[in-house]
Amino acid sequence: MARKRRAAKRPRGATKTPTAVKRSARAALSVATSGRRPVRKRVAAMAQAPLAVCESDKDLQAMLNVLRNEDEPVKVRLAALQSLGAAAFSVIAFESCRGDYLAALRKVATDPNPELPQRVLGLLMREKDGFAQRKLLEGLKNPDKALVPPEKALQLLSYDVHAEAYAAARAIVGKPPNPDARREALRLLAADATAAPLFEKLLRDKKELREIRQISASALHALKPDRLQQVAREIVLDKSDYDDIKATSLMALATFGDDKALANDTVLLNSVDRFGAGKAPSKYKQGARRFLRKYGR
Amino acid sequence: MDVELQINNSASPNARFVSWAPSPCRIRVTNPSGAPSPTVNLKITGVSAAGGGVVVFRSGATGVFSSSVTLPVPTNGTSVPFFAAGKFGKPSAGNGDVTIQARNGTTLVGSAPVMVRIRKNANALTTAERNRFVAAFAQLNNQGLGRFADFRNMHTNVSSPQAHGAPGFLPWHRAYLLDLERELQAIDPSIALPYWRFDRPAPNIFTPDFLGASDQLGTVGFAATNPLQFWKTDGVQGINRRPFFSTSAAPPGLRNETQTLGLGTQYPAFRTLEGNPHGTAHTSFGGSISSIGTAAKDPLFFLLHANVDRLWAKWQRQNGRFNPAQPASFDNSGGNPIGHNLPDTMWPWNGITGGQRPPTAPGGALAASPCVGAPGPQPKVQDSLDFQGAIGAPARMGFDYDDVKFA
Amino acid sequence: MRPVATANAQSEPQFAAMVDALAADLDRRDRLMDLLREDHPVYDQRGAAAIVRMRGWLLVALARAGVSDAALIFVLEELDTGVDAYLVAAAARALRSYPNPTENLAPFVMRALTQIRYRDEPVSFERYGDYAVSSAGTSPVRELLATLAWLGPRARGVLPELEALRAQGSGLAKKFRIDIDRALHAIRRADQVDEPATGSCCAPPAGLGDTVSRPLDSRGGVETIESLVFEDHRGDRIAFKEFFRGQPSIVVFFYTRCDNPMKCSLTVTKLARMQKLLEAQGLSDRIHTAAISYDPAFDLPERLRVYGQDRGVVMNAHHRLLRATGGMDALCAHFGLGVNFIESLVNRHRIEAYILDAEGRIAVSFERIHWDEQQVVSRAIEVLEERGSCGGTRAQGAD
Repeated sequence: MARKRRAAKRPRGATKTPTAVKRSARAALSVATSGRRPVRKRVAAMAQAPLAVCESDKDLQAMLNVLRNEDEPVKVRLAALQSLGAAAFSVIAFESCRGDYLAALRKVATDPNPELPQRVLGLLMREKDGFAQRKLLEGLKNPDKALVPPEKALQLLSYDVHAEAYAAARAIVGKPPNPDARREALRLLAADATAAPLFEKLLRDKKELREIRQISASALHALKPDRLQQVAREIVLDKSDYDDIKATSLMALATFGDDKALANDTVLLNSVDRFGAGKAPSKYKQGARRFLRKYGR
Repeated sequence: MDVELQINNSASPNARFVSWAPSPCRIRVTNPSGAPSPTVNLKITGVSAAGGGVVVFRSGATGVFSSSVTLPVPTNGTSVPFFAAGKFGKPSAGNGDVTIQARNGTTLVGSAPVMVRIRKNANALTTAERNRFVAAFAQLNNQGLGRFADFRNMHTNVSSPQAHGAPGFLPWHRAYLLDLERELQAIDPSIALPYWRFDRPAPNIFTPDFLGASDQLGTVGFAATNPLQFWKTDGVQGINRRPFFSTSAAPPGLRNETQTLGLGTQYPAFRTLEGNPHGTAHTSFGGSISSIGTAAKDPLFFLLHANVDRLWAKWQRQNGRFNPAQPASFDNSGGNPIGHNLPDTMWPWNGITGGQRPPTAPGGALAASPCVGAPGPQPKVQDSLDFQGAIGAPARMGFDYDDVKFA
Repeated sequence: MRPVATANAQSEPQFAAMVDALAADLDRRDRLMDLLREDHPVYDQRGAAAIVRMRGWLLVALARAGVSDAALIFVLEELDTGVDAYLVAAAARALRSYPNPTENLAPFVMRALTQIRYRDEPVSFERYGDYAVSSAGTSPVRELLATLAWLGPRARGVLPELEALRAQGSGLAKKFRIDIDRALHAIRRADQVDEPATGSCCAPPAGLGDTVSRPLDSRGGVETIESLVFEDHRGDRIAFKEFFRGQPSIVVFFYTRCDNPMKCSLTVTKLARMQKLLEAQGLSDRIHTAAISYDPAFDLPERLRVYGQDRGVVMNAHHRLLRATGGMDALCAHFGLGVNFIESLVNRHRIEAYILDAEGRIAVSFERIHWDEQQVVSRAIEVLEERGSCGGTRAQGAD
């Protein structure tokens, strides 16, 4: 029978009681919410305070007031937001705070400082909040009302497949305001069952950026896996296609393909052999060699 | 003469994994031909490959470990027990990089390649360790169609009260990580879940070859050879993660390890780490990991929580807090919600749904291990505490951290 | 595959104005209930958030106009499986306008409270489409507690749960202490006890059922869908008539992208439990089970298989997860499915389960409120026995 182990030497200062820890957190909160303290000290204190807001409504309101107050330094407001977000993870303790917190997030979603709307709209969209969705969709439809750039709006809308964003995403793919927006629109459309032909076309297009072709490969696998296997094979066999997309295609075949069929596909294996022996960057050649080893070469 | 070495009291090669906590082993003669007497003295040692793990031994359940042990073993096939453990500070780099050998004099009569499998700092993994980990993780995800979907579904807004904001936070996440780790080990047994040491710079983690590099939008990009490029959750491709700090440094504002371990020697004080550093680590980013309902969509979540668990493990070791019967080890003062009391079984592994529990229980029972029996398929909160078997050897869960000793 | 459709012609403000007008007109109020059907064209091509706003406003209108017996099931449905704060709050408020409260209503309210308490948020019913930006005002928890107070002694069946909540002392119990105390006081009042505690805790009041039975001679034919071809979780194709003729079947509808864990995930999990009940009674080969996807374009075979597997569903020749390879409109029409779409994606659906007889005709349907597995299996056995169906099946192949 195992004996009890002697406790190892305790670090210095490790004598705090729960009460002392709470007192310390409340003190930090007091510094954090005091407009008279330097910004640097307030930001540092915010990080020490997260769970203190759960203990007292007065402290919670003080923190929320900092978040909402446009006259507060933005660094302090962002630190308040982070601290509240950290506390929100303690769901049971945060139970009585959540309503006020969400209301404050909605208020701050239209803040003039651009970083705040971006962060709070992200937090709200991850809660599938209808308010945030409506604001983001309005902004895509009418750029004058946009609270965040279109690529960010699309990225945030992708947290909820039920957000009615596909039409807006298609419009942006057709007429992208910038490359990031096009990419995020495609990423969002990867959940659209009707978009498989679009992704096959993009995957085959050698003029497309690698990132777009990579997104397309993944999307096509989700929507029409047998088509991806076929196209990926064609890419590997195509001497004129790029090494990086060949590497992605090999990855797709090895990870999701029919192992038996691949092991018997002599034409493919010979092509991979040549790729592995050729002039591609070494990490791609290593990938080729791993592929060949997996299928018995 | 031939002998059989059983690691973790199992003849299966799948059980040949040890950590810092001692593994019960057995040796027996399977072929006595050439044996000079009814009992032979067999010397058991570990032979390490270059850079491999190191194993130490002792003959009984207590006592000092040493680099070898000599045991009198009957030639009639009776098993003789002994204990093996990884030598602290010398984990394996790959499966089977240390071999336990048994010799009769100078003659090798039996051997078993083993691995000292330890949870390591993710920032310090070798390329091979990193690649094996991401390959296994990507396979577990299988573009949203793999077993990972269950792990994602265990950590949602609906289920979050089972594991957050009350004393069960640490035990629940320990079981959660262990369940995931065992599923990864079913794919590649050399895997141990690495941890993100978030109070120190970890630039090697946030790279295209590992957990991805974020652009200014927070879209995570992967190298063409990284299988995580196909990561998918909730039917949506990719990972959104926007660091609010430079990933060549540590996130600001986090309690460091010393401060965390200094929160207090009693569990109620210590578990305030849930706010900082745990919550603060989560919210050092924008993106999935910064909200409780979506955090588990990001593979980084599991490395973050491995570090939280490591901190708990270290605190337990420093303060001797393995025994559920000891009040300072937990907060069982009463009034805790269901799932947060020592004798409570933990959802989802208990399969209980409805009422105070979520409507479904994804994933089924907690994955078994060929190496250990604990914590069992439906663990209770109390089963998560004695992870090293410090109080009772059967409680050992089969994992250890690179910087948390056994004794 | 559904074509990309144009946006719904009626704007949300127009919808709200229509609802307000109907609620104010005594002669047209019953049309409000018609608008609560998920498949109503007014919801076609709307996003899920828009539907929440619309349905919530309908419930608020019902709260003003009075909830009829026929509309009660929609209110209870929201309390039973709703996860959206606005809808749950509106349903709780609407329930207080029902003229015939009984003790059966209390478990719905208490269950909703348990489900929403950690996701409480402020809501506003002042104007259509309002989102609260301050916490002064109401919330689902506040509305649910008010409804428990309204039920008074009829809620005594849930008194222990409410007392336990009050005893917690922190969190919600602290924030809503006054509301909880008001509810407790109302429930404990002895002078309003007017009926003994009876009946099922979890079913709607008698006569306001979620279960519809169709006698043999009134069951509709299957001509419109008998040739409809499904693809199952293995990629095998099978026609409706091949799988569903020859023995009774239990059929549920779902889709893998449903984000309400109280709906599809639970439905399919319960299907697995029903399979176990059938197995225990030696009826696995005599009663088929099927889960059919609302989202056939996305729910390809591997996705179906993994979803079922993750929920413990047995999948073989007699028990399948299916997606329609065409004719989804005909399928919806035949079953009268409570579902609507934005493009090919489901935007809202109800819980629905069906028992088909040996001819594939709908014999029993369970709608809106979560059904009890044993009850469904018992009804399926009744259908099996109604014509002494033989044990043979015409399923194609075996796993």
